[in-house]
Amino acid sequence: MSLADILKRTCKKLGENNKPTYVVMAIATVKGICRPTFTMMDKTENPETKKYTALREGLTEVIAIPAYWACGELAGGLAKKVFAKDKALANRAATNLMFMGVCVAALFVIPGLCSVAIKPIMDKMGLKAPDKKDQPKKMIQEVPNTYSPVSLNPLLYKNKFPQMQAFTSRPQTGLRVGGL
Amino acid sequence: MIGAVQKMLTSSNLASIAQNTTQSVAIETTLKSIGRPGFILIDNDIDSDTKQYAAAKEFLYQATCLAVYMALIVPVFKKGGFKLAKEKLFKNTNGFEHFANVNEYLHYRKLADNPSINNRQATLSKELITSKNKVSDKYNETLLAELKKEHPEKFAYVKGAVELSNIVGSVLGLAILAPQVSHAFIHPALRFLGLEDKNKKAQSQSQKIDTKA
Repeated sequence: MSLADILKRTCKKLGENNKPTYVVMAIATVKGICRPTFTMMDKTENPETKKYTALREGLTEVIAIPAYWACGELAGGLAKKVFAKDKALANRAATNLMFMGVCVAALFVIPGLCSVAIKPIMDKMGLKAPDKKDQPKKMIQEVPNTYSPVSLNPLLYKNKFPQMQAFTSRPQTGLRVGGL
Repeated sequence: MIGAVQKMLTSSNLASIAQNTTQSVAIETTLKSIGRPGFILIDNDIDSDTKQYAAAKEFLYQATCLAVYMALIVPVFKKGGFKLAKEKLFKNTNGFEHFANVNEYLHYRKLADNPSINNRQATLSKELITSKNKVSDKYNETLLAELKKEHPEKFAYVKGAVELSNIVGSVLGLAILAPQVSHAFIHPALRFLGLEDKNKKAQSQSQKIDTKA
């Protein structure tokens, strides 16, 4: 069978029934191969980071492929059972519910499974998240410069009783001439 | 209530979206852009700054994917796939000879999917907005005769060629092209939003100067 014949048969099958699971599973499969490959090819990243990121990306798609298939097929099968009396309606409902199943997988099932499963798997493999170059900006609150005069004078630490100069309203930094 | 649910589950409009690769992929990408950042934000094991950063990054990634997909992949592959199939693979056979372009076929398909013959004929007798011609003028005698039948020919090969092309475009676009584009776009966008250090290099240089001082 030539390539043209295979393409023609594929076109006919897709034209008759283009299941919503086909495209999402195809995307997830190619993503599962390409994204880790691109990550491993990145020369600017250190090897440990590359290994961790690539494995994480690969695992996400490995979880996504069966999740899409299972959610779509389960929902489609349910529709066929519910609308068993009317075959025309059953086919349409199966397509619609299969699409809804895929949507539910994209919205809840896959992110949920990934957040539950990936971390333990990575831990079992002995891989921990390395320090990333692009860390989020740390929200450091600027502490106002309110040094107490006591802390500025090391001699005062030894004296339990604060001296008069500890209560001065004058600034304790900068150039001063005369006075306290 | 049950009637409304049943109507939604058997809706022909929803079935049309579900069978259309580009529309279903666009909807799923939109859902991913909500679901994935949402799950990051409700994760209690991560500190709030990291959560905010990771959720924004994931959202921007999915948004870029959607933008690239809609702007580049949909028009190129939908039209290109039909043209390639019509001129090379099927050479004006199996229904391709009736349609000049993909939009003509999609319009015909929408009419053919409508179960009511009266509704189809009413649509055919309407005038086009752009010219004074009727909708029926776009179709040849064979197609008009098909639309009068209870179960008109839907030209599965044409639909399949369009969908196959869209699947190939979706895979190339979302798995290969969009990650490259988003890689270039995400970090400047995060800096713009204030979630990533703006002058990291400048900061590190000033730190070096400070330590020397």
